[in-house]
Amino acid sequence: MSSNLAVSIAVSAIAYGTPLVLAGLGELLAERSGVLNLGVEGMMLMGAVTAFFASQMLPGPGWAVLIAALIAAAAAGAALALIHAFLSITVRVNQIVSGLALTIFAGAIGLSSYAGQAWGIGGQHGIHQLSKLDVFGLSDVPVIGPILFNQDAMVYLSWGLVALVSYYLYRTRFGLYLRAVGESPRSADAMGINVSAYRYVHTVVGGALAGLGGAYFTLAIAPIWTDGLTAGAGWIAIALVIFAFWRPDLLVVGAYLFGALSSLGFTLQANGVQLPSELFSSLPYIMTVVVLAVASTTLAQRRIGTPAALGVPYVREES
Amino acid sequence: MLDIRAVGVSPASAESATAESPPAVAAVGVTKRFAGGVVANDRVSFEAKRGEVHALLGENGAGKTTLCNILTGLYRPDEGEVLVNGKPVRLHSPHEAQAVGIFMVHQHLSLVDSLTVAENVVLGWSRHRGLGFSGRQVEAEIGEIASRYHMPVDPKARIWQLSLGERQRVDILKALYRGARILILDEPTTVLTPPEIEQLFSSIRDMVAGGSTVVFISHKLPEVLAIADRTTILRKGRSIRTVDIAETDARQLARLMVGHEMSFDVVPRASDAASEPAAAPRPVLELDGVCVQGDFGIEALKEVSLTVSAGEILGIAGVAGNGQRELAEVVAGLRPFIRGTIRIGGEEAVPGDARDAINRGVAYIPEDRMGTGVSPNLSVAENLILKSYRRGSPHAGPLLLMRQAEAQATALMARFDIRAPGPRTLVRQLSGGNVQKVVLARELSSDPRLVVAASPTRGLDVGATEYVRGVLLDAARKGVGILLISEDLDEIVELSDRIAVLYEGRVVGVVDSAHANYEQIGLMMAGAVS
Amino acid sequence: MITIERSLVTPRWQRIALPAVSLVIAAIIAGIVLAASGHDPIATYQQIYAASFTSTGALTATFIYATPLLFTGLCVALAFRMRVWNIGGEGQLYMGAIGASGVGLALGGWPQPLLILMMMLGGALAGTVWAMIPGLLRAYLRTNEILTSLMLNYVASLFMYYLIYDSTSFWRDQTSPSALVFPQGKNLLPAAAWPGIDIGSFTLPLGFVAGVVLAVLLLALIRLTRFGFEMRVMGDSTAAANYAGMRTKRKIVAVMALSGGLAGVGGASQIGDFGHVLNPRGLQQAQYGYTGIVVAALALYNPLAVVVVAILIGALTNAGFALQGPTFPAGLVGTMEGIILFSVLGGEFLGRYRVRFGRAPERAPAVEDESGSISLDS
Repeated sequence: MSSNLAVSIAVSAIAYGTPLVLAGLGELLAERSGVLNLGVEGMMLMGAVTAFFASQMLPGPGWAVLIAALIAAAAAGAALALIHAFLSITVRVNQIVSGLALTIFAGAIGLSSYAGQAWGIGGQHGIHQLSKLDVFGLSDVPVIGPILFNQDAMVYLSWGLVALVSYYLYRTRFGLYLRAVGESPRSADAMGINVSAYRYVHTVVGGALAGLGGAYFTLAIAPIWTDGLTAGAGWIAIALVIFAFWRPDLLVVGAYLFGALSSLGFTLQANGVQLPSELFSSLPYIMTVVVLAVASTTLAQRRIGTPAALGVPYVREES
Repeated sequence: MLDIRAVGVSPASAESATAESPPAVAAVGVTKRFAGGVVANDRVSFEAKRGEVHALLGENGAGKTTLCNILTGLYRPDEGEVLVNGKPVRLHSPHEAQAVGIFMVHQHLSLVDSLTVAENVVLGWSRHRGLGFSGRQVEAEIGEIASRYHMPVDPKARIWQLSLGERQRVDILKALYRGARILILDEPTTVLTPPEIEQLFSSIRDMVAGGSTVVFISHKLPEVLAIADRTTILRKGRSIRTVDIAETDARQLARLMVGHEMSFDVVPRASDAASEPAAAPRPVLELDGVCVQGDFGIEALKEVSLTVSAGEILGIAGVAGNGQRELAEVVAGLRPFIRGTIRIGGEEAVPGDARDAINRGVAYIPEDRMGTGVSPNLSVAENLILKSYRRGSPHAGPLLLMRQAEAQATALMARFDIRAPGPRTLVRQLSGGNVQKVVLARELSSDPRLVVAASPTRGLDVGATEYVRGVLLDAARKGVGILLISEDLDEIVELSDRIAVLYEGRVVGVVDSAHANYEQIGLMMAGAVS
Repeated sequence: MITIERSLVTPRWQRIALPAVSLVIAAIIAGIVLAASGHDPIATYQQIYAASFTSTGALTATFIYATPLLFTGLCVALAFRMRVWNIGGEGQLYMGAIGASGVGLALGGWPQPLLILMMMLGGALAGTVWAMIPGLLRAYLRTNEILTSLMLNYVASLFMYYLIYDSTSFWRDQTSPSALVFPQGKNLLPAAAWPGIDIGSFTLPLGFVAGVVLAVLLLALIRLTRFGFEMRVMGDSTAAANYAGMRTKRKIVAVMALSGGLAGVGGASQIGDFGHVLNPRGLQQAQYGYTGIVVAALALYNPLAVVVVAILIGALTNAGFALQGPTFPAGLVGTMEGIILFSVLGGEFLGRYRVRFGRAPERAPAVEDESGSISLDS
């Protein structure tokens, strides 16, 4: 494979992968606290439509508008996640149902589409878009230049977030407490950790990140808004978190791998090579099932790190 | 079994307890009542000096755990007060207790399996400084404490890798790391092997040598005699006496634990000669060298051999946690056994197969009636056919004829005096006594050979208690064998023909209830008789 | 301090009144949202009603959307009742469609009644097999079935795409002129098209009738059979089920199998009732499987209620598509479905609990605890 091809695959892998990284990190945090959030797709769409609307409506210099748009997108995702958090944690509704309700509520046939029409942004051309930066002037360096130094701000943000979340999880006491909450809420509670608070915060932050991931679609990938723009990226993010076994480093790898596979199909076809990309694409999911099965048989489950309390509402026993 | 002579009283404790310094922790006239009129602690007083190992000795229902829950801030006393270093304190939460240095290590450890020892030790600690978590520093500090008290543990190990004894060590380390000066250990040796017990005791001695105070809750006399300096005996919610270990012996302590006077209301059951022919009784249950694995990798029952004959009530006495639960479960087929045989009605039972046990005529009245004995959101009628739906009416091929089930239920409800609006009432709407009657009705109407009754009258009012006991006696008179497991020694003496005592998973003695001697039983229950 | 306590008794009237009231509240909330963005709520609701039920062809179209939801709703109602969290209905439906279209293509010449039956069986079998993977893993290895059934949805979807868009499989149409331009599935022969039942101008799909029959059978299974009894006990208290000597592992697999089979028949209906060709893109966009979970939740996991809810959601979905346009609010369908679900769930919560002010009384450790009932929602 020529290096040009490899570079272009890598670049598009990053482009496809960035919303997955952002939304995936959010879902990772939520699931680490024990809350399964199946509403990611809806939150991404709300983030996308909100960001687009904000960027169309707000006056001012480009960079300020974009930042405001991103904040708006995060807020939209967070607001939706708050509903899910309230239903799952306080009302103790089945988390699957609650998350799905949100995806339907905010999804392609729901609120995001409603908002798009109400705000009248369908068919408009995006005024502000994130542009590729030239970091340290190194974007012309062969091979790594375009990959590492010629990305837009959100890509760098996503990399920063991955590092931040990793550090948070494994090197801070809040991250430690979070891991305890997800593994064994009863023990965490006995240690005086407020399980509900952790779940709320991380679910809402997860929603905010999902909103950011959605914003990437309308602010970087393509300057338009259409219903259902994200086309299932939210669902992919959910799968990625499981596939990455709730580890941020593996999540990034998985996201870019997925991005590469998606674009690989097109790229290869454009170059006249036929490959059954679906079969390749299904391998990660099949592998995940196999590993999950094997892991549950032995103590390996602890090593794999499935948040043991995932999906189970926590009820404190009054003593 | 621990050899009493081999370990001595800690020499350091005699020096550090000066006459003038106030006791490290004390309870004065503490009374605690719960809903339903239960008085768990009745004007309890005790004090533990600095540098002392003080044992709280007592059996089931003595009030030891409640008292310690008060000391650690989980409960608030209704009367009386708690003093720390001579000053009264009001503790509203475990955190407040920890702030004055009182920590408790419970029987059920609260550690997070996938995290490391170091991570568990600092989990949720309010004095944990800063945002960052320097694993290395914590590990070093833990290592230092661990070696100071001779409690070797690898701070980097993950909890799931550790044995139960090591996990307990982590729990203790957690308390010491956070500044425990008064450490309360609740039955700590339950999960330990003999060498681990040795190690624990030497660590305890190190702790008190450094001026800490250890309150050791136990019902096991050999251990109390081995490790404690003084002990306060609790019985039925009252503090009876505090004695110096050096000035007492097992018999005296056992007498204090169970009370040497026999309760005048309790009449031991003489065998009912009129109903049962004197010919050799047929055994309905035979356990032969049965070994059962407990939940956390420890052996819960060790080489247990028992026999229950038709028409006989065999009572199993013992302090909770000595294998009673596992015994009930293994006979009912809910838990497998790894060695030995169980014969029901002369035929070998399949290990760990509840259906097999049911088919052989074993009825089981579980201790946790709401959680195990009934399906709470189903109706009374449905619960009454919970086991019988597989054969006979209302079973008709793959179908269930609920109308017949309801008719039967109505009859059973009348016969067993179950007070409920109707057979369709959901079981969770019934009172505790009526739920137990549902369980009784179902189990006894299945024409069983053997009834395993675990704490059958726990939490019931006087009327219901009388009723349940009457039903069991009635069944025995009709030739059903009964394995009665209860924490209420009076109940056992009153109902049983013979009494077997379980201690640390072994049957340490079987006596005829007609010749029941409380002191002797008490000694057996407390492990002072081998 | 506010304590939320479980109330022990749910009066019968509450069980029907609460969802009804919740629906009304949902309509009001949605009405407010509509008004806030410049639409007339009453007029909008009238339009929806007309587009769902009364205008020409509306009822037929409503049932086109309702039919798959009926199957996926039943699939979830059965599984969730037993606290087996099968969220693989989506993938099980896809596999059912693959199975049924395969059967339909292969057995094209058979007499129609038999062919229809075989298609249904083929769909059911495919769905069953697909569901048994997470089922067996859960029963015997205790693997979390939420994660495994979810993963298998993706695999099934990709498999479907592969068959039609990326391979030269039996399912793919390789000869017709349109197929040469754009990949598509083989069309089934007219004999494989399931006849609908004409009632005036309205055509009731055969699949829907089959679904209703299945719903009734399912209810009978749950209420009248030993299997259903065991299911209900297991769904209420696993400890009690083990205590009673029930073979819980086999039940879990059986329930997953049945559940997947139901979704599979839904997939078969997609082929037989509508479209008559395997259309991966269409199936994936429709998200019938996931919507089925919402249908089941709204129906409070009661099979007969699933029939009603499936029609309601089908009606709403139909109206959404039919009325699409610049004047009609876009995305109203999803928004309303969401609001309805939140209302019903919130209402159910209120009905289950009492809010008490003040500290909850402490409980003695040795006194029997009255708690323990398990709600279907947790």
